[in-house]
Amino acid sequence: MIPEIHQAFVVPMQQTFFQKALLGGSVAAVVCSVVGCLVILRRMAFLGDALSHAMIAGVAGGYLFMKVLFSTEAHAPAMLLGSLIAAVVTVASIGFVARVSRLKEDTAIGIMYTGVFAAGVVLVSIFRNYIHIDLVHFIMGDVLGVADADLWVAAIAAALVLSVIVLFFRQFQLTSFDPVMAASIGMPVLLIDYALTSCVSLVVVSAVSMVGVILVVGLLITPAATAYLLCDRLDKMMVLAAVFGVTSVLGGLYLSMWVDSSGGGAIMLFCTGQFLLVLLVAPKYGMLAGWIRRRRMVPQHLVEDVLGAVWRSKVQPVPMNVLVGLVPEPAKRLTSAVRSMVREGFLSRDGEYISLTRQGESEARRILRAHRLWETYLRHVGIAQEELHSRAHLLEHVHDKDSVDYLDDLLGHPEQDPHGAEIPVNYTECHPGRLCSVSTLREGRRGRIESVPEEAAATDLRPGDEIVIGPRAERGTLWTISKLDGTKILLPHKSADAIQVVVLDEPTT
Amino acid sequence: MAADRPIVPAIEVENLTVSFGPRPALLDVSLRIDPGMLVGVIGPNGAGKSTLIKAIIGFVKPDLGRVWIRGMPVEAARGQITYVPQRGAVDWDYPITVQEVAMMGRYGNIPWWRDPGTQDHRLVEEALQMVRMAEFKDRQIGQLSGGQQQRVFMARALAQGAEILLLDEPFAGVDAATERSILDVLESAKKGGRTLVVVHHDLATAAEYFDRLALIKQRLYAYGPPEVVLNLDLLSEVYEGKLRVFESLPRTGGSA
Repeated sequence: MIPEIHQAFVVPMQQTFFQKALLGGSVAAVVCSVVGCLVILRRMAFLGDALSHAMIAGVAGGYLFMKVLFSTEAHAPAMLLGSLIAAVVTVASIGFVARVSRLKEDTAIGIMYTGVFAAGVVLVSIFRNYIHIDLVHFIMGDVLGVADADLWVAAIAAALVLSVIVLFFRQFQLTSFDPVMAASIGMPVLLIDYALTSCVSLVVVSAVSMVGVILVVGLLITPAATAYLLCDRLDKMMVLAAVFGVTSVLGGLYLSMWVDSSGGGAIMLFCTGQFLLVLLVAPKYGMLAGWIRRRRMVPQHLVEDVLGAVWRSKVQPVPMNVLVGLVPEPAKRLTSAVRSMVREGFLSRDGEYISLTRQGESEARRILRAHRLWETYLRHVGIAQEELHSRAHLLEHVHDKDSVDYLDDLLGHPEQDPHGAEIPVNYTECHPGRLCSVSTLREGRRGRIESVPEEAAATDLRPGDEIVIGPRAERGTLWTISKLDGTKILLPHKSADAIQVVVLDEPTT
Repeated sequence: MAADRPIVPAIEVENLTVSFGPRPALLDVSLRIDPGMLVGVIGPNGAGKSTLIKAIIGFVKPDLGRVWIRGMPVEAARGQITYVPQRGAVDWDYPITVQEVAMMGRYGNIPWWRDPGTQDHRLVEEALQMVRMAEFKDRQIGQLSGGQQQRVFMARALAQGAEILLLDEPFAGVDAATERSILDVLESAKKGGRTLVVVHHDLATAAEYFDRLALIKQRLYAYGPPEVVLNLDLLSEVYEGKLRVFESLPRTGGSA
């Protein structure tokens, strides 16, 4: 076993080409990933693709320039400079076309980069006997054959780009988040934009020799996208992206050793696999987490059904097996609903026995009140008796205070629903010491008059009088109240609404 | 109930309740709009103004209640009612002319194997005349001012031949002169016998522009002539006392 592990992990490490590939790849990956964070936030992924292709014209141009003038073959610095010039020319012409025409930017990118790329391809093929650029090498890259010169280029580019990003972090952050505001506080938005595209060009140019034209885009955006799924801050995202970049290179290089494949391909394959894994398991934005969250979430209607069932049950506390019969829901979902409602403090559970907590009870009253008021309302607007319950069941989830109070008032504060069941009182409001309208209090409740507005001035009620609510008259449309001296006063709905009393006794259940 | 009434209302809404979650977007809204009215729907943000419009065209399914378009259920009244959306969502660089946009209003009536007929061209022409955009009919839509763009989309609605037009904030983000020109179109459409329901956010101009106002915040607080609806007590109840500008309004004891 040990020798096999040694063979798989340690032996490659001892090879110089592997060390160089790891070093060069990591440097390129770190800087790609960090810049990539800004690229994906600005939705510029396509631009990265464009720049990596456009480079070939610069490489060929640089090669040719040095060969013609100084007869040097494949002069690396000149080719690098040429690539940069090609990248900058591409960016500038994209901006130009988008500005002077009505074309959208993505179209301009598509036009200009293929144009520059094509120029490069034509240049290389015209001078194929003169300059020796392997197009396949250019497109696929060769991380395992990385030259010292490439290493130096990558290192210098990385140092430069990272310094710019670190020094001007706030500028990059603000211009990518809210460019208008950035401009308003005097940031040179256009300049910062150019700085970012220059950084992207530099990074792409330095990484192409290792992973190739096509894969460099992946290195730019995939680690950044992976990090994006895991954090909510740009600075952390950049650090994490850099880590993912390095792990991609490390994992990919080992992979390429074991299966004997191209280095660049293996790196990107590993990188993509890593992304898919994070997409699956990320704690907050992952698929698994979302799935678990949805599974755990108990739908509101189920919560309300359970509250209602426990509240109405004649057996108290309610055994779990009885509850299963009361709520039309699979037992398993019901169990998980009960568990979450215990957690939220609506239910208390003692072994198999379930009862409402104080909070659960007042919630149940509230929902039952909403349900019975909706039934009364539906009757009022002419819905058939046999439909009342099912339609009210669908509407009872509308139970915010304003709506329920509106229905209550519209219907004249009814005491019974169309089936003759009692509508629960406004339990939360009608407590001792609270201010209530006379109209919302039921028979037998006591209160002290707080205010008598104009509408009810004809009654000889005065603030400070103590009153007891009597039974309703005229099919519930007249309120009877008696003063302590025994005088009875009849109030119509409007007056009963207008007179405010301080409640003196506990509501009866 | 409607038997002894000679006029069939253009739009009749009965006990409409629409909810998304525990808070209702509309609660118990009942409303009848007579034909030929220019109606403004006013109310604070999130009051359900757009929801009402969408429920009327049948785009939002209500929890409860019914909508009748000229005495027919909405589903049967397709083609008699048109919705003009807010201006924001259009790609103004799209290669299309004013005339073509207006012709889109006819697409629902033209089978795919036929070209637009003389009847279609006539209706489009009339619609463009009515919004006074006929002279711009070969212009690309991006080369118009904001008010002209709004009018083109109104022409499209008119070309559909609908008798009832619902407009979602046509005055949003346009200057005073443009507002005037849009209003002129609304008024000439009204003169042509059409019924228009317009979501509006500016209380200052509401009284001047509309024959009837519907004041909405989930519930219908008032529907009637502007002088009845624009009542300080009602408005401060609906806008929760956040209005200081309207202290000059009448203050009657909530008789509306």
